[in-house]
Amino acid sequence: MPAESVEDGDIAADHPRERRGYTVLTHALVALVTLAVGLAVGFLATRPSHPGDDSAEAGFLRDMATHHGQAVDMGMIAYANATLPEVRSLGLDIGLTQHGQVNIMQTWLREWGLNPNGSRPPMAWMPDGEESLQDGLMPGMATQEQMEELRRADGKQVDILFLTLMRQHHLGGIHMAQEIVEISDDDDVKWLAQTMVETQQSEMNVLADLLKQAQAA
Amino acid sequence: MSTPGPERVPSTVKVGKTTGQGNPPSGKPGTGRPGGANRPTGKGKGKKGRKITPVKPGGNGGPIAIAVVVVLIAVGIIGWGVWASIKSDKEKETPWEDRAAAIAGIVNYREDPDKSLTARDHKTGPLTYKLNPPVGGEHNARWQNCMGDVYDAQIPTEHAVHSLEHGAVWVTYKPGLPADQVEALTSKVKGKSFSMLSPFPNQESNISLQAWGYQLKVDSADDPRIDEFIRALSLNASVEPGIPCSGGLTTTGTTPSLTGQ
Repeated sequence: MPAESVEDGDIAADHPRERRGYTVLTHALVALVTLAVGLAVGFLATRPSHPGDDSAEAGFLRDMATHHGQAVDMGMIAYANATLPEVRSLGLDIGLTQHGQVNIMQTWLREWGLNPNGSRPPMAWMPDGEESLQDGLMPGMATQEQMEELRRADGKQVDILFLTLMRQHHLGGIHMAQEIVEISDDDDVKWLAQTMVETQQSEMNVLADLLKQAQAA
Repeated sequence: MSTPGPERVPSTVKVGKTTGQGNPPSGKPGTGRPGGANRPTGKGKGKKGRKITPVKPGGNGGPIAIAVVVVLIAVGIIGWGVWASIKSDKEKETPWEDRAAAIAGIVNYREDPDKSLTARDHKTGPLTYKLNPPVGGEHNARWQNCMGDVYDAQIPTEHAVHSLEHGAVWVTYKPGLPADQVEALTSKVKGKSFSMLSPFPNQESNISLQAWGYQLKVDSADDPRIDEFIRALSLNASVEPGIPCSGGLTTTGTTPSLTGQ
């Protein structure tokens, strides 16, 4: 085979084969380069590009994890101590939902290789956010004294306090979630924040209705 | 299938001859590929007479070498880009253990031969600890609420140790610490989940920071290592990932919960 082929080649030497040979090689090289470029572009484009340590998304996840944490605290107190069955069940609902979401948010930070604890003050991710802090607490957060009052309350006072504090808490949470939906372009973060906005907005009505009931009871 | 095979061999040879796109190189000697420009003519002549020998080695050299160089450069550039982007991620991901280890004066008890220091069993009633304050060990079934709670009196150690297991940083200070120092500590803890502050009577240093298996003693609330400790260890040091700091007791005093309630 080798000898023959060499001869073949040589005979055909000067035209068609030659071109074809050149073309084959060119194609091979073009294919190689294209493959390399394609792999690289594919790698860079499809690998997740995560928001960084100072991003609004990271700030939101950290702050909302803390904010949610207090709602879990409130919700479980209501679940244990409230008088109206609807309030107990709402406490459980809010507590479980927000506890689950805390862990979603912590997991994202971990996947992004980010510390759950930021180096910037709370709310710094939000334009003018630091001005919304009240005595160091994020919007809607209850003070330690209010939480203690809720813990020590009994009877329908638990219901009233819980519903009142949770309305405030939701208002603050909705505000923060709306802001990140506005300024972020991360699909996951926007999705979760949007569900927070919708859930908590609809719960505002439930909270108001139950508060009337509790006060009337 | 059989045809392309044999063809391939000679065709490579041809390429060697005719780098100049089939046109004899004479036309533009000085163009793009100096190496390729001259060689083909020479090789071509030599080969016309002798069919056998020169097939592979010399003829392929020019264009293939150039092409290979081009490919290598392209792959190199792409590879560098990919590597650079991976590397920047790696730098971001300094594990919290490394960040903790970098804090001057921190003591890591997690590998201590005395395993009782980080034992995790639940025990009812008053317990004694080897370290003051402790960084782990047997503890009460109930934990102290550690949602950025600021306790102005001693809390049961048996509850506080349980909070460490959940990932809390427990900041303690010697009773009698000046009010402005306590105020400075309060601002570092208040409203921050996975942290809590309380006085602790039997400690040596003015201020001590505890996380599960870790301790740092400092003299002043202005010490920058306090923030470093909290940032590195709060929540990260949890040995029960996912559990909250809420749902704990908020009572002060020295008597642990006897009922588990």
